Amino acid sequence: MNEQPIWLSKILPPPSDNILSGADIDKGYKNFSRGLRFILTGLVFVPLLFISILSYDQVRELLQTEELDQLVLHLEQATSAIEKFVSELQSVIKFVAPDGRYQELRDPKKLESLFVRLQSEYPGFADIEVIDNKGMQESYFGPYQLKEHNYSDQTWYKEVLLNGVYISSVFSGFRNFPHFVIAVSRKLPQQQGNWVLRVTIDGQTLQDFVDTISTTYADDIFLVDLNCFAQTTPQKYGKIGEKCLLPDLADKTDKRLKEKILERKKSFQKAAVMRILQKSFHGQQIIYAVVPLSNTPWQVVLVKEQYLYADSWREFKIRLTTIFLTCILTAIYVILGISNAITDHLRESDKKREQFLIEAEQPNKLASIGRLAAGVAHEINNPLAVINQKTGLVQDFLEMSDDFTHKKLIEETLDGIQNNVGRCKKITHRLLGFARQAEVKTEEIDINDIVREVVDFLAKEASYNQIKIDFDLDEHVSTIVSDRGQLQQILINITNNAIDAIGSNGQVTLSSRQVDQDNIQIRITDDGPGIPPEVQQRIFDPFFTTKETGKGTGLGLSIVYGLIKKLGGNINVISEVGTGTAFEITLPVKQSEQQ
Amino acid sequence: MTNAKLLIIDDEVEFASTLCQRLQLRGFDATDMHSGGEGLAILSTIEPEIVILDLKMPDMSGLDVLEEIKNHNQSIEVIILTGHGSAESGIEAMEKGAFDYLMKPVDLKELLEKINSADEKRNKA
Repeated sequence: MNEQPIWLSKILPPPSDNILSGADIDKGYKNFSRGLRFILTGLVFVPLLFISILSYDQVRELLQTEELDQLVLHLEQATSAIEKFVSELQSVIKFVAPDGRYQELRDPKKLESLFVRLQSEYPGFADIEVIDNKGMQESYFGPYQLKEHNYSDQTWYKEVLLNGVYISSVFSGFRNFPHFVIAVSRKLPQQQGNWVLRVTIDGQTLQDFVDTISTTYADDIFLVDLNCFAQTTPQKYGKIGEKCLLPDLADKTDKRLKEKILERKKSFQKAAVMRILQKSFHGQQIIYAVVPLSNTPWQVVLVKEQYLYADSWREFKIRLTTIFLTCILTAIYVILGISNAITDHLRESDKKREQFLIEAEQPNKLASIGRLAAGVAHEINNPLAVINQKTGLVQDFLEMSDDFTHKKLIEETLDGIQNNVGRCKKITHRLLGFARQAEVKTEEIDINDIVREVVDFLAKEASYNQIKIDFDLDEHVSTIVSDRGQLQQILINITNNAIDAIGSNGQVTLSSRQVDQDNIQIRITDDGPGIPPEVQQRIFDPFFTTKETGKGTGLGLSIVYGLIKKLGGNINVISEVGTGTAFEITLPVKQSEQQ
Repeated sequence: MTNAKLLIIDDEVEFASTLCQRLQLRGFDATDMHSGGEGLAILSTIEPEIVILDLKMPDMSGLDVLEEIKNHNQSIEVIILTGHGSAESGIEAMEKGAFDYLMKPVDLKELLEKINSADEKRNKA
């Protein structure tokens, strides 16, 4: 076997070199099973976890990018729409006040008629006034009593003279409602300076427009001035005219997000001046972008709650978790099954191998004991023969002698010696029979014939003891190719044992039957006392006997076992104490090559 | 009871001589020799009618001795004594012309019966 790496041997312990007790073996299998489960789970879990994390990250990245794209796109649209709207307002005012219209519009009536026409188009126009080149109000039309107001010192007036146009932040002022101002300066003839047309517009106009462009995409869209005061009403992030509630609106943009936008949105001209931030607002992650509107004091703010709260992200997370858990549970179920199956298989084959080893050991044991026994028996036979003859000779002489003191006693003693020589002879002959390694001489045999022959041979002895021998032979059993002499020896041995076991008054039945195409079976059943289980275990061991000393060598069934194995067969004992015993001999119909 | 002329060939000296003595006590003209060679050498001198032969001897095997005996005189009956305890060698000997075989240690009564039968067979022939 190849050396396995240390880490693997720690998880999957290799079989121990020592002989283990039952509990330790069981522990070994449990450890093996646990190790196997651990490795298999790791093999499934690690890649699955890796893939899950990867897809989680990928989807998040995708959603983030998509969100950013959307944000910028909407911002782009909103910006251009508002800019267009404001520039339209400017254009209208510029259009109605060409340079030479000063004289005409100084007339309040004319101004009124202009204003009425304008208001019919733009209902948000609140009032209108004309200012002369000194900064003094020349004429006014509107709901307020604003007469002869001097604007010459005010910043906006200086600015409008400088830039030609001025747009104010939204403020309430004395008009008491949010409004803003658009003023345009126009030239007077002959270098007399500039006159100014100033229109006050209701803040609601701006609000309405912003409302029309707000989409479901954005969670909030509103305008702020350069100091971050809200110019239109935000839905969540402050009140009009008050400082915007969004944190750090003036902060520098998130560099990472900005780079991403610059990379992807090259077409968006304002990408460079846009600020984009990702912050937490009242515990919620939001992303918002701020971009200044050209030629106005305003900036557009577009707020979006992050993807984290969107359905698609939530759905994705649920699906990912479900798939992950399902995979893990399925894998664990399968792994448990597999590791148990492998361990069971291993345990089963180990058990079989062990059994096989025990079985394989038996013939070996018999063979080596047999060789030893044969050597001993042969060596003893010769001196035994000498004792036998010498004793015989003494007996001969004794017979020829006249009566003398102790003659009878000596005769009895010599008989005793002869009897014991006879016992030794029996033992050595059996030992030699046990050791016999004769070649199997095969011929075609009708097993029923052999059974009958054996019974003929034993019937007389049996009948002395009132033991009846019966047959239950299958006349159609196939003939087998086997060794006649050895089969006889086997059957005589077992039948003799049966007769001995019964003692007297009983019945022995010999039956034959076909097991399958390749095997036949002979069964020898007696109604003797039966064999207890502990004896059954050792019944084929050499020298194991339950007969009283001197009556048996303990070799009979060992020899039978060896012979049957040599013939390629099998022997089985079925016995119950008090009921009887059956020996089942299974024999092959044909001898295989090996035998 | 016969009184056939017997020759015992067995390398176990004590066995052979004791058996010989016992047979002589029973009226047989018995001689004992203690190796295959000696046994064969004395054949022509004593011309035995029945030979009692051990199968396993150091100088030559009982089967070879048997063959020589049969070559010398086909009518001599040979009873084999074997210490092997296995029937095979005895059967082989019978195939080579032995009258019968007995396993050691042998019962004299049994041996006498065999001798008688062998003699009867000889007389019939």
